[in-house]
Amino acid sequence: MDRLENNLLGEFETNINFYFSEVLNYPFAKPYWIYLSLSHECTYRCKMCGVVKILKGYELPTEAVEKTLNTIDSWKQDCVVLFTGGEVFLRKDIFHLFDYSVAKGLKVEVVSNGALIDKELAFKIISSGLQNIAISLDGEKEDTHDRIREKGAFKKAIGAITNLVQAKKEILKGPQISVWTTIMKENISELFDIIALVNSLGVECLVYHPVIVAQDDMQNTQADAPFWIKGNDLEILRNQIEKIVDYQTKHGLVAFLHDPYLWLKYFNGQLCRKDWKCNPFVFLNIGPDGETRSCGASFGNIKDMDLDKCLVTAEALKARSLMRLCQKPCLQTCWGRPESDSLTKITENFIAKVRNNKNKNKLVKEALSLLNNYANKLKEHV
Amino acid sequence: MFNLKEVIISITNRCNSRCKMCDIPIEKTEELDTPSWKHIIRDLPSCGAKTLVFSGGEPLLREDLFELLSFAKSVGLNTCITSNGIMIDDSVASKLLQTGINVVNVSVEGPEEVHDLLRGAGNFKKTVLALAALGKHKIETTIATTVSRYTYKNLNSVVELAKEYNVTTVKFQPFSSLFVDDKKRIKEFTISENNLQEMETIIKDVILLSARYGIAVNPEKYLLNIPYYLSGKSTGSNNVCGALLSSCPINSKGEIFPCWVLSGRDNLIGSLKGNSFLSLWGGRRHISIIEKIERKGCPSCMMSCYDGNFGQAGIKHRVIRGLSKLKNRGFRGYLAQLLRKLQKRFKFYFAYRGSLAALTRKFKGIFRRKAISMTKIQEQGTEGVFTEIEIAEQMLKDELKR
Repeated sequence: MDRLENNLLGEFETNINFYFSEVLNYPFAKPYWIYLSLSHECTYRCKMCGVVKILKGYELPTEAVEKTLNTIDSWKQDCVVLFTGGEVFLRKDIFHLFDYSVAKGLKVEVVSNGALIDKELAFKIISSGLQNIAISLDGEKEDTHDRIREKGAFKKAIGAITNLVQAKKEILKGPQISVWTTIMKENISELFDIIALVNSLGVECLVYHPVIVAQDDMQNTQADAPFWIKGNDLEILRNQIEKIVDYQTKHGLVAFLHDPYLWLKYFNGQLCRKDWKCNPFVFLNIGPDGETRSCGASFGNIKDMDLDKCLVTAEALKARSLMRLCQKPCLQTCWGRPESDSLTKITENFIAKVRNNKNKNKLVKEALSLLNNYANKLKEHV
Repeated sequence: MFNLKEVIISITNRCNSRCKMCDIPIEKTEELDTPSWKHIIRDLPSCGAKTLVFSGGEPLLREDLFELLSFAKSVGLNTCITSNGIMIDDSVASKLLQTGINVVNVSVEGPEEVHDLLRGAGNFKKTVLALAALGKHKIETTIATTVSRYTYKNLNSVVELAKEYNVTTVKFQPFSSLFVDDKKRIKEFTISENNLQEMETIIKDVILLSARYGIAVNPEKYLLNIPYYLSGKSTGSNNVCGALLSSCPINSKGEIFPCWVLSGRDNLIGSLKGNSFLSLWGGRRHISIIEKIERKGCPSCMMSCYDGNFGQAGIKHRVIRGLSKLKNRGFRGYLAQLLRKLQKRFKFYFAYRGSLAALTRKFKGIFRRKAISMTKIQEQGTEGVFTEIEIAEQMLKDELKR
């Protein structure tokens, strides 16, 4: 089988692994997204972020990160490591960690507020083998962004993007440069205008995600929560979504990771499991304190045990059970995997993709054998 | 870490009784409105809660209580109220039944003269009528009794009353200074060392009587500790309480504390006004408070809701008592009584604690506590998975034939 065929089969296998993990609450699949929050330290004290307050004084030791990266490397499954913080570029060993993970062939991404990215740092980042660098930008107007983050933050973020784009033009290759925008009451009327701004700067991808009220408050859908969009503002949001969708259809740039109209339901408190659900196995966050969690309680601490062991602790099982009961999804795209929601859908997609392949029969037989394996495994234990 | 089973909402501080041993109604506080409570209740099953208890004050003074009980039931919670019974007549019992309530816990302090002395003249008769009304509508009823200097001599009469009205469980709880504002009055309810022996004998009688009637009471070790607690010779359970992780008290203002005893402002986990339950329960603040309590030690108490702490230590005593019963009554007599007792216990468990599946899991857990492997799949529910696999396999086979 050639690479494409291997990929088709690999995708099918990953999808059924996630499907059976979710249905049977056992980690047949390894996490796809691994967020490594390296440090609580940050250059700003953003109003909507609780990391600095909650995890004060914690920083993941280099050795612990390296050990974790080794474990992730041992997984056969495709995954993405995203370095986050605090502000990752405050870590002195950050480029060592980039090198360490890139050398292992891992897909690495990073998210930053851009405060420290000058021309020199931009060149280092662009040459470091990352897949993607995301800069947070919360407003089209300087005043909006600075009010949420800190005075001068907007200029620094724009400067960082400019430096990164310039460096990529000079080096002629490098990571995708993207912008992440948090949707909240404060920037609601600027959401569409941000597109023109980032377009003019040469950004390649724009991602919107709705605000989480605080890091320890993922699912606060109460109407009086700070930053929350409610009442008449919901109409403004609808208007913005229509314009954004129209632009995206014609020009791309915006990456929708789910139907953007779900934002309205989310802020209305009407978003339910039927619309969007988490697959507790897709995402794993490793905090600066070493605690691993998908959502809710910690699975275990990577300082005490290997990451693989953290994934199968009793606490992990319990936390995932609670996630499966969650009725109020928080639309954080890292936790959803709609393509693995139904076995029929997975099979349909697979068949559609292999139908015209010359090795179709071989691929279908392999898929059948994978399904058989699961059926036998289940019969053995249930 | 957390294993939430029960949420206790003190829905109001208002009360229609002025009991000697309780000063709660003196303090008038704000109360959350119906939509806010519904918002909170909706989140509870997601956190693992199985049972919701409305206490007070007198919860029936809330006009929306029936609505909240029905709502809690609709989200899959078992429901219970703790009431003084004064307002429970035939029509209220009927309304309670319609909400699908699982348990009504009624406070009885002893015979009429003792009950009325502590809870107000004429209240005993009303409470007895409440027991009758609840019995008529076949609502699972339990009795709660505060053991104090006033009541200890007549504890047997409570068990007799329970038998008369088909009450399944009597929970005894020693007087707690927590509910009295004027700390000088505490001595009014405690006993002297001279009464210790007498009280111990009475409690042993109560244990025997309740066993004979098949009425569930608190764990034996807990009951036998009450005289020592009330005479100041024991401080209650010194272990860090399991209730910290499995039970969640919420006051009428929507504030969550680790437990009723530790309800100082420094232990405030958070307010549900503006925060969701999901965000507070098991959150950073909660964890840090629990860790602080574990570090500093539990102040210890004998609140009956936490009497599970005493359960395990009484096993040896239970075995000895079981053997002596076996000797006295013969195998058939012993077995018949054991079955009666188990029947009542199970009835209570189903009504109050959860489903048969939950009970089975509890027992399985004892033997397979570390078995986090594929065997866990059995407990997760595999309904429809095999069908889904068969459909997918058929789709692939059809594709092969094309």
